[in-house]
Order: sequence, then structure tokens, then C-alpha cells
Amino acid sequence: MDAGTLHNQIGAVQLHICSNDSGFLRKFRNSSLQCISKGFALDVKLLSKGICNSKHGKVRVTYTSLCHASVVDPALRTSLSANDYNQKPSIESSLILIRHGESLWNEKNLFTGCVDVPLTKRGIEEAIEAGKRISNIPVDIIYTSALIRAQMTAMLAMTQHRRKKVPIITHDESEQAKAWSQIFSDETNKQSIPVITAWQLNERMYGELQGLNKKETAERYGKEKVHDWRRSYDIPPPNGESLEMCSQRAVAYFREKIEPQLQSGKNVMVAAHGNSLRSIIMYLDKLTSQEVINLELSTGVPLLYIYKDTKFIKRGSPVGPTEAGVYAYTKSLALYRQKLDEMFQ
Amino acid sequence: MASAVFHQAIGTLLSHQHLHNSGFHQEFGNVSVNLISKGFKVYTGLSISRKGGYSSGKRNFSVVQGSASQTSVVDPLSTPSNDSKNGFQKKSSEAALILIRHGESLWNEKNLFTGCVDVPLTKKGVEEAIEAGKRISNIPVDMIYTSSLIRAQMTAMLAMTQHRRRKVPIIMHNESEQARAWSQIFSEDTMRQSIPVITAWQLNERMYGELQGLNKQETADRFGKEKVHEWRRSYDIPPPNGESLEMCAERAVAYFKDQIEPQLCSGKHVMIAAHGNSLRSIIMYLDKLTSQEVISLELSTGIPMLYIFKEGRFIRKGSPAGPTEAGVYAYTRFINFTNASGSI
Repeated sequence: MDAGTLHNQIGAVQLHICSNDSGFLRKFRNSSLQCISKGFALDVKLLSKGICNSKHGKVRVTYTSLCHASVVDPALRTSLSANDYNQKPSIESSLILIRHGESLWNEKNLFTGCVDVPLTKRGIEEAIEAGKRISNIPVDIIYTSALIRAQMTAMLAMTQHRRKKVPIITHDESEQAKAWSQIFSDETNKQSIPVITAWQLNERMYGELQGLNKKETAERYGKEKVHDWRRSYDIPPPNGESLEMCSQRAVAYFREKIEPQLQSGKNVMVAAHGNSLRSIIMYLDKLTSQEVINLELSTGVPLLYIYKDTKFIKRGSPVGPTEAGVYAYTKSLALYRQKLDEMFQ
Repeated sequence: MASAVFHQAIGTLLSHQHLHNSGFHQEFGNVSVNLISKGFKVYTGLSISRKGGYSSGKRNFSVVQGSASQTSVVDPLSTPSNDSKNGFQKKSSEAALILIRHGESLWNEKNLFTGCVDVPLTKKGVEEAIEAGKRISNIPVDMIYTSSLIRAQMTAMLAMTQHRRRKVPIIMHNESEQARAWSQIFSEDTMRQSIPVITAWQLNERMYGELQGLNKQETADRFGKEKVHEWRRSYDIPPPNGESLEMCAERAVAYFKDQIEPQLCSGKHVMIAAHGNSLRSIIMYLDKLTSQEVISLELSTGIPMLYIFKEGRFIRKGSPAGPTEAGVYAYTRFINFTNASGSI
């Protein structure tokens, strides 16, 4: 079957409503017909499955997957908001964090920071492995840093995604760049996942240590000083950023740009670096500065969070395809996966 | 042995003096000692052994020099002032130019007009890039130019993971003062092991205007087969709000002449990872093709094309053989592939 389309408008806010009322159910069924005719087949079918079988209690679950799939249909939205619901809206979306794998300077043991160094063969494999782990988790929008190792990690990971939507890197560095990258088909837009690159998600800038190897730096400045710079929260290397400074710009960006997307029900993937991701995790998990400096993020192993009712629920790492383990973290994710299985029999 | 060191300063245009005088020989002799101690053996060794050593006649000497220039040696001893002191002359150098067209993208797979939409590679495109890398793994690369689109950049980075010289491509950032400052490198040694990568929109694919994102069938339905055929295959008829091949050629070749050719002139080996139309345009310039000829030119994806730039001329050398194919393994004396034992 032709891959279902998810009507994703960049930047639009969608409304998600849960209701227990059977009156609502009828209304919803009618609206769902409309959605299907626009090609919402995939995700609404997901829902109708739940609806047909559901008893009272299941309606909410089913509805959550609707939110999850970010369906926007004006008819649906207004009819629901006007009627029958007496519950607070429950928005659930997934947030995937991926730290890129081995880069050519990691391999050479050089301080990298914001120098734009690409991945090694191993880093490429790590990205592909990471992709397999998230191949069943919906992704509506991708954020990466301005550095190629994170961008490649995202693009390589997405080659494994079962939904087969196409990541498109957005360009707005100039008027021409914006104009030249325009897409003229709605259908195609619907099958696209916007990728937004942001320097605010870059690795911590390592100042005058960038390019130096760890040994010669220890020799030049002394082991203790280097340890201070590497492992403290607020002591920057010469002309560089401290972890605190890195956090500031990374978390600010997350709150201004990424969180609203999650708020609106969009499923987000962030492909970035050790320090920018730790900073974000510090915010998500409400860690102290003491705790964050001891936090180590595995490379190439995606971390899943469920964003629900403005809270971030940590769900650990999705299992690889050959590992036994919990494969669904929420009912909606389970339904999404089920649907993918059916699509790609 | 420590990997050979080529003294390259990123971002500065270096002129390389090619010296013919035996006085230089001595100087070079000293210089090479420095370099060898830093592990410079690789490329000078190459040319020396092929010619039977330093001590042979002038011709051999020029071979040695050739390799020095080729490897972009910058050494205070060979500055212009020194040259004039000894009456050195310029000699033309030989440089390699590799052109790689990226492999399959996600929209190629879906048969959609892509143009300048920034669509990444498929798994197949990733494999094509790695294969391309194997074919050029023995050809020196001092600088890399790509378009501003990820499919070309990824192709270059993936290809370079296969390169035997193991230098590190570093993408240059000039989009703002901060970007420039933040990407600075503070070790000379590390810089010498780096290959600057310059991204340029002028190397982008032909901009396809209002056809971008449309599939080929629906475009034919919407505009008619003939119109579409014109846009796709003519030289100078652009699709609505898009570029004709001529317009694409204009900005791509201008960029090549302004920015890339000078690098080749100075003996730098260059790799360009770009797109069907921007590369054809450049080939039109290199091979002096007519507009009639260029519209029939098809470039295979993921198969690198090698040119040797020598004395201001571009000599086409076709495609380097894959590692499992029999074929010519050396195109010039300087740009040598490995010998049987696998050493360079």
C-alpha cells in the first residue's frame, strides 16, 4: 500500500483531545472518514482499529495514538473541541536523542570541540545501528548541530527507518538558499521530514585545545588544569566554553525551538554531541551540576523520552533488532509499530 | 613509520616555487632532511626511487621537484626571496583532479525531480560513495570541494574513509564570525594532517524551479511530455523559475575557474564531489565540449573521473580501476598507485 501520509505542517500546532464519551466516538468515526479520504489511512486506521474494538477505557489509548501521529484535520479538530470531551488534552510525543559515533579525531585522540570532523567507518556503522534501534519510532522533525558528524549520523540512521519518509535539510542561510530549496508538491511535502541544523546544538567549543592531543595538552598545561577543563562544570579552557556555557545555549535552544514541537505533538529526533546532549538531559531529568558532570552518554545508542503532559519520561534505549526486550514503551508506539509491520509485510 | 607530513596551511593560498637550479637541490636536500625526519618519506620516496635517486641528471631532478610541489610543501626555506636569490624559475606542476558524482538519493529512488532540494543518500548511495572511495584510495587529495547539499558532502566524507593516506577532511565554516572562530585548530601538526573541505552553492545541482518535488509522471501530465523533455534535455531552456543547463554551467564553471583552478595551478590535488549538471558543466570546460555535446554527456554516479592538470591543460584519464579490477594503475609518474606489496 502506498505509504500513509501524515499531514505534518512545519510549525503548525495540533490539538489533541481525549474523550471517554461514546458520543464522541461516533463523531470521531465520521471525521475519521474524512481523514482517510485525504490519505490519512495509515494512522487513522491505527485508530479505527482501536475504536472498533474498544470499550470505554480504550478510547483514550486510541486517541493518544492519534495525537502521536500528529494528524491535523480542521474538521476533526473543531468538531472535537466543540463537543463531548470533559478531559484535559493529553499530548504524547517521542523524543529521541542520538549522540554521534566515532569521528576521525576521536580515533586519533585529539580534542575536537567545534572543529568539523567527519565520522570514521566505525562511526558510520554506529549510526546505522542506531537507526535500526529507532526504525519503528515515529519521527516528524529532526534537529542536528551544524557539524557533519551529527548530520551524517542522522541521515544514516534514517536510511533504516521503516516509515520511509524523506529527511530534507532546510536551508535558510540566505534568500537564495531558501528560494532554491523550495518543494512544489504537497504530496511530496507530506512525505518529508524537515531537518533543522543549529549551531546551538554543537559540541562544546574547546577553545585553544581544539586539535591538540590529550597527551601534549597535559604536557603543555599540566594534568590538573586539563582535568579541570574537561570535567568541571564551569571552568572553560582558554577561549573556550565551560559545560555551563554550552548548556546555556543548548538548553535555551531546546526550550525555544524543540519543546514547542513536542508540545504540539510532533515526534522529534535530536542528533548531536556528548556535551550538548548531556546539557539537554540535565534539563529533562532535572540533574544537578554535580550529577551532570558524571553523566556519560554512549555513542550511537539512541535514548528515548516520552513527552507527556509537559513532562519528560525517560525510557532508556530502544533495543536493537536482535535483542530481546521491551519493544514498545507506550500503547501508541506499539500501535505505530504494528501498523508498520502491516504496511511492510 | 609515522605518516608522511605535508605542510599545508588551511585556507591560505600557497604558491609553490618549482625550482630547477642545482643550488636548490642542496637546499631541497636540507629541506627534505627536515621533512623526512617528520616522516615526509612517502611522496618524495616515490619519485626518488622511480628515478634512481637524487643524484641523477636534471630530468630526474625535476621529477623530484615535481613531487615536492605536488605535495604542497611549504617551507620557509623555499620562499620567494630565497628563490630570487638563486635565480630559480617557475616550472609547471602536475596535479590530480578527481570528480565524483554522488550516488542514489532518496528522491532518485522515488523518481522525483530533486534540483537543489537537500535530500540525503539512500543505502545504495552510501555504498556507491564507499566504492568510489576505494577507487581513489591511492590518489593524493589536498583539498576537497563539495556543493552545499548533504548528498555530495556525505559522498565526499564516505569516500575519504577509504583513503589510504588517512588525512582528516575538515569542513571549513565561514558562515559567520563565530563559526569561523569556533572551528579554529590550534596544532600545526594536526593542520598538516588535515584536508580542508570547502562547501559552495555554486557546485549545487541545477536548480529545477517549480519542478522540484514533482514526480516525472505528474510533471509530464501537467506540462506535457515535450515541454518537460525540453527542460530536461536542452541547453538553454529553463523550467519555470529554474535554471537552464547554461545558467548552471555559468555559475559552476566560474567558480571552478576562480577558486579551484588556482589550487591546481599551485600543485594542489583536488577532489570535487558534486552533481550531474554541475559536473557536466565543469567537464564541458575541461574537455572543451560544445553545448550539443554536453547535453548528451552522462556521468555515472559514484564512479570517480580523474583528470591530470599539467601545464595549464586538463588531460582526461578516465576512471581509476576498482580494487578488484585489472587496469592501468598509474596515470603519471607522480600519481602512482601502490606497488604490488601495497606500500606507497
